[in-house]
Amino acid sequence: MDGCSFVVPRGKISGLIGPNGSGKTTTFNLLTGLLEPDGGQVIYNGENLAGLKPYQIFRKGVTRTFQVTRIFREMTVLENMLSVTGLGVPERVARQRAEELIAFVNLGHLRSEYGGRLSYGQQKLLEFVRALMTDPDLILLDEPAAGVNRTLLQHLLDHMHRLQEQGKTIVIVEHDMNVIMNHCERIFVMDYGVKIAEGPPAEIQRDERVVEAYFGRRR
Amino acid sequence: MTRGEHLRNLVLLGACAVALTILPHALTVYRRSFVLFTMMYVVLALSWNIISGFTGYTSFGHVAFYGIGAYACAILVADYRWHWIPTLGVGAVLAALIAVVIGYPVLRLKGPYFAIAMLGAAEGTRVVATVWDSLTHGGLGISLPSAETSLETYYAMVTLMLVTIVVAYGVGHSRFGIRLNAIREDEVAAEALGINATLYKLAAFTLSAVFPAVAGGIQAYKVLYIDPPAVFFVQITIAMALMSMLGGKGTVIGPIVGAVILYTAQELTWVNFPTAHLIAYGLFIVLVARFMPRGLVGLAIDRGWVRKGMIH
Ligand SMILES: Nc1ncnc2c1ncn2[C@@H]1O[C@H](COP(=O)(O)OP(=O)(O)OP(=O)(O)O)[C@@H](O)[C@H]1O
Ligand SMILES: [Mg+2]
Repeated sequence: MDGCSFVVPRGKISGLIGPNGSGKTTTFNLLTGLLEPDGGQVIYNGENLAGLKPYQIFRKGVTRTFQVTRIFREMTVLENMLSVTGLGVPERVARQRAEELIAFVNLGHLRSEYGGRLSYGQQKLLEFVRALMTDPDLILLDEPAAGVNRTLLQHLLDHMHRLQEQGKTIVIVEHDMNVIMNHCERIFVMDYGVKIAEGPPAEIQRDERVVEAYFGRRR
Repeated sequence: MTRGEHLRNLVLLGACAVALTILPHALTVYRRSFVLFTMMYVVLALSWNIISGFTGYTSFGHVAFYGIGAYACAILVADYRWHWIPTLGVGAVLAALIAVVIGYPVLRLKGPYFAIAMLGAAEGTRVVATVWDSLTHGGLGISLPSAETSLETYYAMVTLMLVTIVVAYGVGHSRFGIRLNAIREDEVAAEALGINATLYKLAAFTLSAVFPAVAGGIQAYKVLYIDPPAVFFVQITIAMALMSMLGGKGTVIGPIVGAVILYTAQELTWVNFPTAHLIAYGLFIVLVARFMPRGLVGLAIDRGWVRKGMIH
């Protein structure tokens, strides 16, 4: 990634799109400290996060999910949830929150099942709620809809709007254009590691460079 | 786990403690040693399991901490005329410090690299113990003045084992333990979800070093003679690993069960077929890895006799 700069609006749902390999996941990795930028800054609440360790960034209220799920496979669903809360939170409180969240994504009956035994869609759901255990302020979702059925997806999207109403900032990477166009207020488009367009959905749909990047003229 | 289940386990442990306290009076000296060494291997396997089972960093060098504890006891008792009990504390502190010094760089390595680095660290410690003549008497080893009644070391080992079990149980049923599991399962994801993996790994490693050091000290005072090859013996590390694997690493009960079964089996085969015992050992490693990778506890979980996970 080079010369790529954007400002995510606080308290809104934004979309980050682009062809395969355009650098969306890499962007998330830079924001969450899994990759260290060679240069540039990541400003969050007026503070530069570049160079901080992933766990330090997480503790500032930034959480994420992974495109290819990273469930703790030989830990139960409940343990996956409980592993995330800070030890400062009383266990009783953490458990209650975990139970509520797993019930919310219909995983309540699987609470004592190993994460690795869940279906891919269920793992996506578990990852989504696991990211919410600590009540984060900025939520980065890498293709949350992939492999999740329509009904549950609607459920997730509703929940995302509820989180947004509570003042959370959400960024979604997604290839499903329905999700992006109908639920995001602002869209960033990447190609070859740079931002090629930015704007509200209606504008992006008409943008020539975007159409070109997606459908290709001389790639 | 519910409060009732914790209470039940506490009562079980209490019953074991009482039985082990009464037991030696009914035993011959030989049988008493047998029980003592079985308990020692329970301690070793449970400790190894904290870093290698719970946290997923397979250590092939844990005997180093055992040897350090043995030397701390032997040197202080033989050369400085200490009472042997406080030397156990010195061994524990020394092992913890060395664990931090070794662990900080070595815990950055993963999988086989960590395992091999630990093997190297243990060999390094053995070499130091061999060449540092002025402190360790080198290859000659150290004879301890005999003041021991075999009951003293026996009760010390009972105490150590109970403490180790309580600590391992505490780790295994807490969110601290769950976080060690998360590091084992996916360290990158664990870090991204707020876990300071470096700190947690170091804590687990240090904890897993302390109890073997105390065990080493007790065994030095028990056998009254140590030298580098005996207390830095690679096979002791292998035994820790194998016992945990047989019972089920990453669980609390697994290493206990594995240590009791394997040490008993080893003692029986060793007495009856001194040479066959090593071959049997090798064969055993292969069989466990092939047919029971998650150990006896894993088998019990698959059958539905035991619940999955450490926190319920
Ligand atoms: N640390 C790195 N240094 C250099 N190149 C990298 C690095 N990490 C990833 N890349 C490359 O950057 C490109 C973008 O990868 P990325 O995973 O960000 O794409 P993406 O937009 O998420 O695509 P997809 O839609 O397929 O998930 C890939 O070709 C990848 O090989
Ligand atoms: Mg991606």
